[in-house]
Amino acid sequence: MSQVRAKILLALLNGMIWVVLILILLFFSLAADGFFSTSNFINILLHASILGVLVLGQAICLLSGNFDLSAEGTVSLLTVLAAWLMLPSREAQASQLGGIGWELSPFLVISLMIITGTLIGALVGTTITRLRMNNFIVTLAFQLILRGIALVVSMGAVLAGTPETFNWLGGGRLGPLPYSVIVTSMLFLLTGLALKNTRFGRELYAVGGNPHAARASGFNPEMTITKAYMVSGLMAALAAWMLLGRLETTTSTLGRGLTLETVAAAVIGGVALTGGVGTIKGVLGGVLVLSVIDNGLNLMDVNPFLIQGVRGLIILVALLVDAQKIHYGRYLA
Amino acid sequence: MSSEPEVKGFSDKEIVNCPQPTIILRARGLSKSFPGVHAVENVSLEVYRGEINGLVGKNGAGKSTLVRLLMGLQRADGGTVEIGGRCYEAMTPDEALEAGIAYVPQQVSMIDSLTVAENILAGNLPAGKFGFINWKEVKQEAKRRLQKLSLEIDVRQRVDGLNITEQTMLAIAKALFSRAKLIILDEPTAALPKVDIQRMFSFIRSMKQQGVGFIYISHHLEEIFEICDRVSVLRDGQMVGNHRVAEINQTQLIQMMVGQSVSEFSRANNPISKEVVLSIENLVRRGHYEKINMSIRKGEVVGLTGLKGSGSEALAAGLFGLEYLGRGTVKLNGKAFIARTPRQALGQRLAYLPADRHRFGIVGLRSVKENITYSILKRLVRLFMIINDRRETELVSSFIKDLGIVTHSIEQKVGLLSGGNQQKVVFSKLVATKPSLLILHEPTQGIDVDAKTDIFRVIDDLSSQGVATLLISNEVRELSVICDRILVMCEGKITYQFIKGDAEAIPENILLAIEGSYEPG
Repeated sequence: MSQVRAKILLALLNGMIWVVLILILLFFSLAADGFFSTSNFINILLHASILGVLVLGQAICLLSGNFDLSAEGTVSLLTVLAAWLMLPSREAQASQLGGIGWELSPFLVISLMIITGTLIGALVGTTITRLRMNNFIVTLAFQLILRGIALVVSMGAVLAGTPETFNWLGGGRLGPLPYSVIVTSMLFLLTGLALKNTRFGRELYAVGGNPHAARASGFNPEMTITKAYMVSGLMAALAAWMLLGRLETTTSTLGRGLTLETVAAAVIGGVALTGGVGTIKGVLGGVLVLSVIDNGLNLMDVNPFLIQGVRGLIILVALLVDAQKIHYGRYLA
Repeated sequence: MSSEPEVKGFSDKEIVNCPQPTIILRARGLSKSFPGVHAVENVSLEVYRGEINGLVGKNGAGKSTLVRLLMGLQRADGGTVEIGGRCYEAMTPDEALEAGIAYVPQQVSMIDSLTVAENILAGNLPAGKFGFINWKEVKQEAKRRLQKLSLEIDVRQRVDGLNITEQTMLAIAKALFSRAKLIILDEPTAALPKVDIQRMFSFIRSMKQQGVGFIYISHHLEEIFEICDRVSVLRDGQMVGNHRVAEINQTQLIQMMVGQSVSEFSRANNPISKEVVLSIENLVRRGHYEKINMSIRKGEVVGLTGLKGSGSEALAAGLFGLEYLGRGTVKLNGKAFIARTPRQALGQRLAYLPADRHRFGIVGLRSVKENITYSILKRLVRLFMIINDRRETELVSSFIKDLGIVTHSIEQKVGLLSGGNQQKVVFSKLVATKPSLLILHEPTQGIDVDAKTDIFRVIDDLSSQGVATLLISNEVRELSVICDRILVMCEGKITYQFIKGDAEAIPENILLAIEGSYEPG
């Protein structure tokens, strides 16, 4: 293996995500009817936006060296809570689809969602850092707890019919572009800039890269990790708002399976599970690749069970790429 | 300086003329370049049976690359390696192992939770009926093998229960058991307490007597003269000298490494102000130190030395908030000093350079720029905590220039720099905080002569600017050059104080004091 070849390979592996994106775009344009159209692309972005917001939170946690498996629990609890607080009571509606009947204003509910989401993140982060418990298991447990609360609140029923003013983010459009796509794009841009240019970004990479050196440099790794979970909670709240606004209906099982997708998108985008490595640009690539593949396979009428399998395969390939990058990086160093 | 009596009597000429069967390894014209640098260029090296061949060179001179080429971990751009009657152009790691080349790294990695016996026979455990391991046989076999090397280690002990010296010796022994003919030792004494170095040396010598060849990499030139038969010098990727140690002296060796004659660093006697920066009264931490009383004045450089476990390291870590400090009165700049975390210590203008650079000093994945400004981000941020990029770049560039950090850009990952440059990055990070007290823990460990001089220069500069320095080190010679005072710790107490300029303040006496056997007068 010559030096030059290793270098080219590494460059390819680093830029791999965009090469892959172009290749699959080409493939589906040729193979799937109705794929290559503006409306379908907007459709892809619409689906990518909710995943994207969640992935931002996941990526920030992963950069600090921690998983966040709890975010999808936060999503389902917050959608259920929001609907429950806004909908008229069952009796008034004479149906099973009612809420508590307070019919709170959407603005109040949205603020409550954002505050609650962030607080849940703070609680998760504090549990992990102060009680020194394993992040993987703690967040998994929180996912179950949060979903459990959602189940209790909704009593297992479907809550439907959220007010117009609440739905604008998830369902509204500015011209042809959905608001959720615009907001998600802005969040990506902001997060990218923040990781690059703010103190929090520096802390995050330092803590994920080497927590001991970070502490000795005067950082407070526990605080940084807690902040990462707070960001993830905030993102989960925004995702919940978008999701509920788009579907106008929710149950306690909403969002099931999103966690694995967020981890997958982050890893495909080059975020290392060991912490300290990854960029928001890469994460964006990861989200787009995953969404395009989902959309394309759906259009091709591929068996949905097979799509699950394909997703698994993609995650494996992403991990392989990650491992190869480390290998060739060493070879060059 | 002492040297072994010559074992083999070849001159360079004879070796070229008649290839002896005693040659274990012959590397010819090895080259390896990375983008922008010739890491190793046309290097030739011969290692003989029963000889210890020293390999010296500054950080970044190409030692590690050469070793990696010999180990087959990297493929050479050109050149050959001859070993065991075969000539390789591109050796794989397996072939290198097969040919009998073994590498014992600075930090030995073994399966800590297994016993010595299990480690020795790892991968080759004798199994009895039904695949159950015959533990009695394992112990006996391990014992027998160790006895052959007259190495006295309890085979039933877990490896993490051994001290570093025993772990390193065990690693060498393991290499021998796998029939290694050539063992590459990378700074085998770096982490060893002084008392154990001789033990290690006599072990290496007895291996040598059995015909094993060694490549001995070290920054400690005294060791090279003590243990090696010959010494090869790398400079900027080229082999600039290969001599029997009896033929040269330390100054000549340093000259070969550096390329030009160096005058040993000397520090002017700055008048020290009366202002006390750090004062410690009756500080006690059970099991580590007791009744510590000391003070450091503005601009003073105070050395603190002692064996491992003497308490000096714990004291430093305690002051910086990495460990429990203990009870007593500590004042910094006249105010009561309490630091439960490094952050609080830095806030009170105390900065600390850790001995373990990789673990506590650098974030290797991140850039030189980021690493230097980690501790002063508060001063660099504007609205919304956004970092002022221009100011940061200016600041970092000035540090790179002042300390002579060799890096191709400020965005270079610190992990890819050589040891001396990494240390300078950590130094920059500390100096940037404008500390009033600087605690340095083995600041010259594992770095080359040039970088050492640079670091001494920085310490000297800072002291003339009024920074008080506490220098914790076992390099007695270095301490006696740079320090105004040297305190010796022994079993948790400060036992001696040597003052610069006094007749008794010579390295030999300090060494005796460290071991607890110094009788003044």
